[in-house]
Amino acid sequence: MIKNLKHILITIALMPMLHAGLSIAAETGSALKNDNIRAEPYADAKIAGSFSRGDSLEILKKQGAWLQVKTKKSTGWVRLLSVKRGIATTTNKTAGALAVASGRAGTGQVVSTTGVRGLSEQDLKAAKFNETEIKTLESYTLSAEQGRQFANAGNLKAIVFANLKAGKGDSK
Amino acid sequence: MRIIVKKTQSNSARKNLLTTTLLASLLSVLSLQSVAFDLKGALKDAVQKEIGQKPEPTTPTETPSTNTPPVDAASANNTATSAETAQPAFNWKNPSKEEEIALGREIAGNLLGAAPLVKDAALQKYVNSVGRWVASQSERPDLPWRFGVIESDDLNAFAAPGGYIMLTKGLYRKLANEAQLAGVLGHEIAHVVKKHQLKVLQKQQLLNMSAGFLSGKYAKDNNLISKAIGSGAEISARSLDKSAEYEADRLGLSYATRAGYEPYSLADVLQTLGQTNKNDDSVALLFKTHPHPDERLVALSDAVGSKLDNIKNGKTLENRFYQLKP
Repeated sequence: MIKNLKHILITIALMPMLHAGLSIAAETGSALKNDNIRAEPYADAKIAGSFSRGDSLEILKKQGAWLQVKTKKSTGWVRLLSVKRGIATTTNKTAGALAVASGRAGTGQVVSTTGVRGLSEQDLKAAKFNETEIKTLESYTLSAEQGRQFANAGNLKAIVFANLKAGKGDSK
Repeated sequence: MRIIVKKTQSNSARKNLLTTTLLASLLSVLSLQSVAFDLKGALKDAVQKEIGQKPEPTTPTETPSTNTPPVDAASANNTATSAETAQPAFNWKNPSKEEEIALGREIAGNLLGAAPLVKDAALQKYVNSVGRWVASQSERPDLPWRFGVIESDDLNAFAAPGGYIMLTKGLYRKLANEAQLAGVLGHEIAHVVKKHQLKVLQKQQLLNMSAGFLSGKYAKDNNLISKAIGSGAEISARSLDKSAEYEADRLGLSYATRAGYEPYSLADVLQTLGQTNKNDDSVALLFKTHPHPDERLVALSDAVGSKLDNIKNGKTLENRFYQLKP
């Protein structure tokens, strides 16, 4: 009886940990576009739901080009390019623009104090041609044949694939 | 090239002047850029006046046999040097491959002045191997492609005309495998293949030259590469059209896929970039000059659709991905 109680206690004690472990394992994400959720990771699988751009979701699993996701309403598979991985944030272009305006790429009055070697607009403008460096860069130039040998060494095989064209929804 | 050819002809025989003029008009008529229509005619005359004698008679073919791409560094240097000395003849209307490379060399050299190469020959060799293989899947496999990792903690990559491509150490550090590197390099290779930057420079330079000519201030040095690209490597800090970036994403993905890499690797890099804090200095320039990674992912998603559904066995090759020295 006491033994049983001990087990129960341990189980109860462990439950929150298990739960925590699970929530850490599940990656969060958000929908980049409106899309259908499918029952299986195939283009012609049954539609199990849908999500709208900006919806937050949980990413459960990845399989090839598909992600298994869980939204508030449904669970299923979507193409991985429909999902932004990481913390769900609404796309805020203004924030990005502000970051630029206040950052080192701004108008020149802001100076990096981090000691990190950046490459700002000013750095680029002030740059002077470096003959030694460009010669070093050119010394690494490889022939097409050398490229092919490198590919072979990695067991990379060239395949036939037509250049992608702009999609219909491409806003440009 | 054409201008030079015609100049040689008119030098050697005045009789040919009529032919030249006729050809010139024909060229202008054929020109697609209606904006530059008049300017081009004016330019032609101006350039003909300015260019002195061109000693070696050039064959009227667009690419003489000497125009084969310089594969080793030494010949590349020669090309650049000769282009420098012949700068007044830089053909902005229709630059030859050599001129394009000379221009790219100038830009890349300036960029390296801002951030030198990472002193790690094995790293540079590795990046050149991956880049060269991906470039071989592009529409311009015959360019003397060169790649470099530069000393900067920023996240960025740059392409200059003629096949000069650089990425920062900061961006390299964010990559997880060789396929992701292939995707990034593929994007930059596409900029070169599509001559995105070259076209911007050409347009601007032809307008400058024409404006200078029309206002009677046509100067010899107007053709100078250095004048065209502005101060230092600022050209590398300029944005291209959004559509040019989306196109480079589509083509970069296509090249890397053709090279046998996992097709979604460029998208993986965009995911990583998208997760970077927008206020982070390291992405300030990248985010200023490119559409937001989210937008790029959406555009890529629209272009990909189901086209990658049957692409299997793409490699990521994380095992041989070169690890930066700490």
